[in-house]
Amino acid sequence: MRRDPPPQSDPDRREFREEAESLWRINLAPATWAAHFVTSYAIAAVVCAKAPALLPHARLALLLATGLALAVILWLGWRAWRQWDYRTTGDYTNALGEAEDRHQFLGHAAVLLALISAIGVVYGTLPVLLLESCR
Amino acid sequence: MSEPQNTGPQGPYPPSAEMLATPVPQAQQERSAAELRAAWAPPKGWRYVTAVNNSEIGLWYALSAFGFMLLAGVLGLLIRLQLALPENDLISADRFNQFFTMHGSAMMFLFAVPMFEAIAILILPALLGGRDMPFPRLSAFGFWCFVIGGVFVMGSLLFNAAPTAGWFMYPPLATQDEGPGSDIWLLGLSFIEIASIAAAVELIVGALKCRPPGMRVNIMPLYAWYVLVVGGMILFAFPPLIAGDFLFELERSFDWPFFDPTRGGDPMLWQHLFWIFGHPEVYIVFLPSIAIAAMVVPTVARRPIVGYSWIVLSAVGTGFLSFGLWVHHMFTTGLPNISLGFFSAASEAVVIPTGIQLFAFAATLIAGRVKMSLPMLWIAGALAIFTAGGLTGVMLAIAPFNWQVHDTYFIVAHLHYTLFGGMVFPVIAGIYYFFPFIRKKMLSERLGRWAFWLIFTGFNVTFLPMHLTGLLGMPRRVFTYPEAAGWGWLNMISTLGAFVIAAGFAVFVWDLLRPKGAQQQMPRNPWAAGTLEWSHNIPAEYWGARSIPHITSRYPLWDDPDLVARMDAGRYYLADSPHGHRETMVTSVIDASPELVQRVTGPTWITLLAALFTGGAFIFPTFHMYAPALVSGAFALVCILYWLWTSTARPPAHEMRDAGLGLSLPTYASGPKAVGWWAVWITMLGDATAFASIVFGFFFYWTSKPDFPPEDAPHAAPELVALAVLALTASWALTLAARQWNAAGRIGRARAALITAPLLTAGGASALTLSVQALEPTTHVYPAIIWALMIWVVAHALVGLIMQLYCLAGSLTGKLTPRYDADLWNITLFWHFLCLTVLVAGAVIGLAPGVL
Ligand code: HEM
Repeated sequence: MRRDPPPQSDPDRREFREEAESLWRINLAPATWAAHFVTSYAIAAVVCAKAPALLPHARLALLLATGLALAVILWLGWRAWRQWDYRTTGDYTNALGEAEDRHQFLGHAAVLLALISAIGVVYGTLPVLLLESCR
Repeated sequence: MSEPQNTGPQGPYPPSAEMLATPVPQAQQERSAAELRAAWAPPKGWRYVTAVNNSEIGLWYALSAFGFMLLAGVLGLLIRLQLALPENDLISADRFNQFFTMHGSAMMFLFAVPMFEAIAILILPALLGGRDMPFPRLSAFGFWCFVIGGVFVMGSLLFNAAPTAGWFMYPPLATQDEGPGSDIWLLGLSFIEIASIAAAVELIVGALKCRPPGMRVNIMPLYAWYVLVVGGMILFAFPPLIAGDFLFELERSFDWPFFDPTRGGDPMLWQHLFWIFGHPEVYIVFLPSIAIAAMVVPTVARRPIVGYSWIVLSAVGTGFLSFGLWVHHMFTTGLPNISLGFFSAASEAVVIPTGIQLFAFAATLIAGRVKMSLPMLWIAGALAIFTAGGLTGVMLAIAPFNWQVHDTYFIVAHLHYTLFGGMVFPVIAGIYYFFPFIRKKMLSERLGRWAFWLIFTGFNVTFLPMHLTGLLGMPRRVFTYPEAAGWGWLNMISTLGAFVIAAGFAVFVWDLLRPKGAQQQMPRNPWAAGTLEWSHNIPAEYWGARSIPHITSRYPLWDDPDLVARMDAGRYYLADSPHGHRETMVTSVIDASPELVQRVTGPTWITLLAALFTGGAFIFPTFHMYAPALVSGAFALVCILYWLWTSTARPPAHEMRDAGLGLSLPTYASGPKAVGWWAVWITMLGDATAFASIVFGFFFYWTSKPDFPPEDAPHAAPELVALAVLALTASWALTLAARQWNAAGRIGRARAALITAPLLTAGGASALTLSVQALEPTTHVYPAIIWALMIWVVAHALVGLIMQLYCLAGSLTGKLTPRYDADLWNITLFWHFLCLTVLVAGAVIGLAPGVL
């Protein structure tokens, strides 16, 4: 499965170079989910313990937080989709050892993680929508 | 970062096809093989126990974990014997409590997690075409800690002194428990958890920095991805438990009322901390098994895995989502419904990535030409059992149903379905699959099938009826039940089944341990697999990979037919050892381009001694013998310092090393290029999590108790807190400055900073200690948690102080120079974290009382 490195233009090389990537980046979408989750939990806990009367406001705030989290994840996902570049390369598996494969693979993984994080955020919002009291 | 020129890699990379095709002269092959063999020779005779090589440590680790599992299994059998008949009196109620507590604890802490680490230590370097883990002595230290801790905890059974409060030790049952049982659990298992974290650090660094050249992240074996994810999870899941153990032990030893509601404490805090650990733990146990399946399935299907990126996604996604599950286990504890909702939601979400992985495996099998081998049989059994367990799990995630069957045998059944399907079967599959790699012998096909069918049938006979037993209302953890309850026959069936499982394990163990000397030499790659571990020499050599290959695809053994011959000829990197050192290659994180030749450490007694003394420091306090504990701790410290001083980050004799294929690599690195720096980073992430858990505790009390902090409570002296924060921050700044001055060649200044900084550290630590003297920790939870925070910071400051002195000594003796400054980089990293800790703790101790 060895193949010669394809001739690359300079901008390509710059785009695929190692320093431009980081393993952290694929974690950003899940981290957004985590932040949303912790915020929801913390706000619900504090409000229910200290000021149950404020719950309607808290729910509104949490819905806003959900909107924000989804927007962030969407943006991350869109960037990753561009990085994956599936539409133009048609390369789905990125199984080769070239810089370009690695670049697109990280994009692909990030797209998928954005997807699952978005689902996680939506699930995490359901209780806010469905439950109207602390007890 | 001032790095002198010419310390980077020099020469062509990646190697061209012609370079790889050039043969290596026979004489050179023989010479270099002899050099390597000498460098990697294992210690002989009774010195064998000083070995630190991953192949030895991993093997011992796996065998001990398996041994503990068999012991815990025997406890399971005894439990079943007692429950076989109504009103049985085979074992007393107290013994029974000890048995189920130790059965659960040993299975989880002495088998499930350590087994992952053992297998990973054993095979990861080979999967990565490497020679060894980056820190062999750290693995050895972790292993010895594990054995000492495990023997101690299990040994308590013999003295009828084992813990009795169940494997999650809920207070107040466990806080008020007489005798040392609970202390043994808390201290013994904390000790093991620390060893687990050490192994996790090592594995993460191994997967990130020790891959062979060219193995970019998109082509590394899936197993390595799982190691990263599981390692990361251990790093965030275990520290909360350690923090919980810390608070718990303070309560038991000194009567600080963290979990005592009469003095403002709250047992719920323990439940939170335990389950922040406990639910990810389920996935920590389960993902490595999936990882094994991810290696076995492509081999069996004889084609590359389908959906590599999808599997990576599921692994990372599960890692995250599983942390959203902790309250899952507390449905019946009266939390606000809305909070429970969040966790119910997360429990449902985690099903998605789990499903994706199973689909990817199914797709691979369907798309391939399956050859049903013994490992695959076990994987298939695992899938069947795990799916059943998953179904009951979804049922349990529905809160009302959960209230119904909470604490009945339904839970016991569900638990064992997930654990057998998600852990025991895949691990056995892994053992069958990797045994030829580990021992260079084959296991018996016939015995394997016997073992499989015995365990599989026995398992279902034992645990399937338990669902019904639970629905009929039999509570778990009861040592007997009345005849009239009508569960007798179900229990009898379960007990009979348990003995069928035991028979299956007996067959398996016999197959594993029976002498195989007469067996013929086996073929080199018996399963015709595609990954690098099967390139190892037969008969076995200790050097790991003969030469470290350049990798360009996911299944190099399938894709590059010349690879193995070239590795054998020493065509690739590091084929020799001109100075007789053990070395391995360090590469960059994303693209694995060569960066460094890392010298790895060899056999030694020091890790064994360090583990013994560390063990003493944890074991003596269970009997309230604090003086011997302190002495033992001091000896442990001396051992560890000696170990670090003599064998880490020493200036090398040769600046560059000819790595082969024209490439010349440096032999020393500091900062982010060095593996040690990464290890500090990762360790500190775990440490910060533990600290965050204690801070969480503070705010938890605030939300759960209306009188926290109490109206008239005395607070810490604010001036002293401020002084402490100032002094410690200044010490941090000086440490950072020392690193920069040293790198710039201004050694005098750097030394001056390293003399002043420890003084400031000592001053800051004293000020913080003094600031809380007016508080009486036994009276109420508020002073107690302030004290706990203070102890945490002061203990870390002391470690930071030792580090500063260590670097000062290094600078004075020539171990640390402007060029060779890895130690200084590492301690600065530690101090970054410490500085953050100090600021947060200062705010909580000094400012929060005014604000709340
Ligand atoms: C021979 C196989 C086994 C048998 C016969 C068995 C039997 C049992 C029984 C009867 C209980 C319930 C005790 C009670 O509630 O009174 C139990 C609990 C438990 N088992 Fe097993 N077990 C086996 C294997 C395993 C394995 C392989 C694991 C984990 C990897 C495991 C983990 C646990 C845990 C965590 C508990 C809960 C302990 C507690 O309530 O604190 N068991 N086991």
